[in-house]
Amino acid sequence: MTNTAHKVLVANRGEIAVRIVQACRKLGLDFVCVYTAEDAGSGHVRLAKELGGPKSLYRVASYHDANELLSVADDAEATAIHPGYGFFAEDYRFARRVSQRDRKLIFIGPSWRVIRELGDKINTKRLARSLDVPTVPGSDRPIYDEMEAEKVARTLFEFQVDNGIKNPLVLVKASAGGGGMGIEEVHDPDLFRSVYRRVRNYAARQFKDEGVLIEQRIRDFNHLEVQIVAERGGANIVHFGTRNCSIQSTGLQKRVEIAPGFDPSSIAYDFDADQLLADITRHSLALARRVKYDNVGTWEWIVTRDGKPYLMEVNTRIQVENGVSAAISRIKGKSGVDIIAEQIRLGLGAPLGYTQDDITFEGMGIEYRIIAEDPDNRFTPWVGLIDSFSWPEQPWLSMHTHVPTDEPYDIPTEFDPNLALGIVWGKDISEVRERGISFLDALVLEGHDKSGSPLKSNIDFLRKKTNRILLF
Amino acid sequence: MDIEKKIQHLTERLTYIRDIFAGKHNENVRLLETKMEDYRQREASLSSQDRAAAVATLEDLFGFVEQKLENDLTPMDKVRIVRHPQRICLRDILENVYDNYTEIGSKDEHSIDPSMVIARAYITRRQGKKTFNQSVMVIGQEKGHGEEFRNGGSVKPWGNAKAQQYMQVAEIENIPIHTYIFTPGSYPIEDSPGAGQQIAKNIYELSGLRVPVVAVISEGGSGGAEAIGLADRRLMLSHGYYSVISPEGAAAIEGRLRDGERASQELIERCASQLKITAQDNLRMGYVDRVIQEPELGARPYHFDFFRTLRQEMLRATDEVVLGVKGWGPFRALALRSRKKKATGNFDFDSVHIRWSLSSSARDHLVEKRHKKFRQLSRYAAVDPRPWTSHFADWLKQALWDGYSHFKYDFFRRHTKNVSHALEDIDAEVRVVTNSMVHFWRKLGAKLFGRSRRKNAETERQLTKLSEWDEQSARDANWTYTSPRAKEDRAITCPNAEVQGCLDLWAPDLFGEFAGVCPNCGHHFPMEYQWYLNNVFDQSSIVEFNSDIEAGNPLSVDGFDLKIEQAKKATGQKSSCMTFEASINDTKVVVAMLMASFRGGTVGAAEGEKFIMAAERAGKKRYPFLAYVHGTAGIRIQEGTNGVIQMPRCTMAVRRYIDDGGLYLVVYDTNSYAGPIASFLGCSPYQFGIRSANVGFAGPGVIAETTGMAMPPHYHNVYKALARGHIQGIWDRREIRFNLTQALLTMGGRNLYYR
Repeated sequence: MTNTAHKVLVANRGEIAVRIVQACRKLGLDFVCVYTAEDAGSGHVRLAKELGGPKSLYRVASYHDANELLSVADDAEATAIHPGYGFFAEDYRFARRVSQRDRKLIFIGPSWRVIRELGDKINTKRLARSLDVPTVPGSDRPIYDEMEAEKVARTLFEFQVDNGIKNPLVLVKASAGGGGMGIEEVHDPDLFRSVYRRVRNYAARQFKDEGVLIEQRIRDFNHLEVQIVAERGGANIVHFGTRNCSIQSTGLQKRVEIAPGFDPSSIAYDFDADQLLADITRHSLALARRVKYDNVGTWEWIVTRDGKPYLMEVNTRIQVENGVSAAISRIKGKSGVDIIAEQIRLGLGAPLGYTQDDITFEGMGIEYRIIAEDPDNRFTPWVGLIDSFSWPEQPWLSMHTHVPTDEPYDIPTEFDPNLALGIVWGKDISEVRERGISFLDALVLEGHDKSGSPLKSNIDFLRKKTNRILLF
Repeated sequence: MDIEKKIQHLTERLTYIRDIFAGKHNENVRLLETKMEDYRQREASLSSQDRAAAVATLEDLFGFVEQKLENDLTPMDKVRIVRHPQRICLRDILENVYDNYTEIGSKDEHSIDPSMVIARAYITRRQGKKTFNQSVMVIGQEKGHGEEFRNGGSVKPWGNAKAQQYMQVAEIENIPIHTYIFTPGSYPIEDSPGAGQQIAKNIYELSGLRVPVVAVISEGGSGGAEAIGLADRRLMLSHGYYSVISPEGAAAIEGRLRDGERASQELIERCASQLKITAQDNLRMGYVDRVIQEPELGARPYHFDFFRTLRQEMLRATDEVVLGVKGWGPFRALALRSRKKKATGNFDFDSVHIRWSLSSSARDHLVEKRHKKFRQLSRYAAVDPRPWTSHFADWLKQALWDGYSHFKYDFFRRHTKNVSHALEDIDAEVRVVTNSMVHFWRKLGAKLFGRSRRKNAETERQLTKLSEWDEQSARDANWTYTSPRAKEDRAITCPNAEVQGCLDLWAPDLFGEFAGVCPNCGHHFPMEYQWYLNNVFDQSSIVEFNSDIEAGNPLSVDGFDLKIEQAKKATGQKSSCMTFEASINDTKVVVAMLMASFRGGTVGAAEGEKFIMAAERAGKKRYPFLAYVHGTAGIRIQEGTNGVIQMPRCTMAVRRYIDDGGLYLVVYDTNSYAGPIASFLGCSPYQFGIRSANVGFAGPGVIAETTGMAMPPHYHNVYKALARGHIQGIWDRREIRFNLTQALLTMGGRNLYYR
């Protein structure tokens, strides 16, 4: 089914690189990995050596240098590049370059046009609105005119009051911005003008574009996702259910993800949760079909307490938490779904081979992100040496990590601090909670930093949150 | 004692001859040397009478040899003459031509710039028993017979600024200006102001100056000369030179020499003669009005007859200018005209009186005449292959436009404006009354019924449904032109990579979507001019005009015909200046674009003529005028003074346009240097630089050679140009369209800008 003549360059590190290498092996594909000097001890380096020999490893100066990665690809005669997440995963220029250079490679991810189309938040919002997909109330195009901006802000305040919101809030965002930069909140209509000017000037300086978006600031919501999988050409598009990612750090980084997104069978919600999950899935698929989505991707939604969904953005890449969706999914009744393997298989051009009807869901999954950090102190990352890291194997548990369990590991400071992902499955919410707690209880993660203080981790935080999953 | 002085004098003359011929005519020099030596040997044995006779013989011999050598002078010899410390300088002229003078703002080296001397002077004229003291403002470069602090007459920007100030003073005092040009060129320093920046101001000032200006050229070195050289009458000393560049500089360019290398004497001589730099050449080409004959081998301070001639010539030139614009004085004008035909010799200008102060209308006339005079210059030097019928049609069209434009803007618009202003007032009055009534009913309605449901639904629709948006106007990276360089699969290194850590860029990204801008540090790589044509102006709104006017080889410089042909073939253009009408967001503009790809964007007679015609067209049509400088290396040196003269000509065209209320914008891209910067570009009140562009006067080679110091890094960078007040803003290339729209909106002239 898969063309095994391909060789995949794994243009990433850590946990995701490990999973990509494993997926390649599963598909019988050759692979080549890259690593930087500070990552020499990482599990993905060890795995690559183990499975591919020394020839499958190249040391690079940076994971961010496209020229270096492409030289590796050429030297190793790779035919495809898997970007993982982060780095070049959502960089349509990189995807375009890869597929347009003289020695063309397959970019394992959506085609660059799709990445570009959905990478632009204004374009996404307008596409959504054109399909009657609900989006956050506010402007759907950059506003350059102060008078117009004030008018939109005023109507937004009125609109919120009319909808019974007690403390209406308006967000002013640089339309060309991203990653939370150039966003400010306004609680008082009289303050709008000064905030608007500040954001506009910031945007002009930072992004060379004065345009701003003005939107309602929605509070008290749950963060849901829809996992989409599609084959090349965009003719066959399916979903792998929903996830709830509302448990986050203070910096709004996800810590626990649960699939499916709500559990109306055991928890009472103020709205029809089944209907809501069906709606957001339907809307996500509609948008995916519209842009001829052609690989894996995640549609991110926020859902308010009264059950109103709003499409936030589309992540045109594999996500960290794909495994939790895989854990509850069955293809033609079979478990052991691997979305990363599906991504590579489809990315290389294989047909989907099943339909939505063949995909069923069973039980519930929780993914814990195990991180060395201090949740009591604004989730400050902890840096030091891990002395011991172990857990009892369980049939309902899968662990993804690049941290070695048989030797000490020095946590590099340069990258995302994720150490491991623990995915727990149970047939219902009470079983999965119970198993989750027992997994966390049995998990050993110890270490010390330069001053000799013991390792700090978020395990207690995860345990505490386990009892609150899927509650609004 | 007297004999001793004479011998001393002859020794100096001998040195002079030796210097100006630089190793040529050795047999003559040797002859004089031997005769001098002979005399010295015999001196002790001679009686005083015999000594006098021997010295007289020697003097005769010197006279004879000098006369003989005079006939063999080459252009390069003349260059050495004007550079010689023994040559007359401004101080000699002040002493000998004027009857009284006071130096303004300088005492030897104590001056803001000792190479620029300003003096208030007067000439006394006698008419019958009456005497008249006629005041003039004398402005000129002082070489001071080689005094080191005079810097060889190479004026710093602040020296030119001082000249500009006293031009304004003369205008207030209503007295004529006499300028004396003794400069090898301006001192290429970028300060506040920069060299080019200040020269542009001077030329702009002179082009509208409402008093007579008479200029005398001894050493006319390009930009430095133009700073005080735009005059109603331009006289030239017969042994002077007036050139776009020094012959050495031309030879360095011609021989493609790297820094440090020296051009051969032969090449320099050839360049000097090909550039047509002598007084006689310039008279023939029409860039000077008269040549003042100097004594053999050039005027030196002891040539008192020469100063008398010069005085007569200055009186005559000033009189001519004044009478040319004065309403009354038919007999004196007639007398003057009849003198024109004969030699000046026997007519004494000291004995006629012509008042030099002008009435207001005469001053208008003066400026108008000056503009007409320069407008006519150098026209033959551009190639215009159109048949006379099309010239005639062009002339007819121009005339019709003139009439139409006059009717529409000077008559019709003014009257409709008055009517519409009155209507606006009435409307505003009515609104005050109706508003208060409507407001009352609205308030009452709101109180009774609350906010309507219909209105709520409408608000919701506005906030959650797709809005209308003209994506065409959106500023995104959908460039309609893509550089051919964007088709190569290769990585480009940003020049700031080492400092800013920029990663290598992929050419298709860089020259395509990024528009040649490094996304990390913002460095702007140069782009082709086509990029601007397609991405700045409205789609297919560009209509080129005057495309038939071609750059040529007016001085018939060897091998240059071929080079010009090659440039035409390679670029598909006929000159480095493309002029067109276009629109930006539906605002019509006239654009003159200098293209770096055609011989470095250099400006010659064709380019100048096209630029002027574009400015005139913009004026007639009441459109904003944009000079888009894709790049210019300066004046095209192979055209000599045909090129230099474009500096005043184009500046005057711009001045006319601005004085009529036009909006003149200049945008600099890539590298823009020298003449055009120091005149018609640098005089705009609204100049903008594209980021990473360079704007300046002289290149690093010239700076190192003339100042003796290496050029500091980023010397000509636009940020420096902004800091020294030359340009008024820096634009991102990707934002040019938006910035131009913004500029048209906020800087639009009072009657030129219509949306």
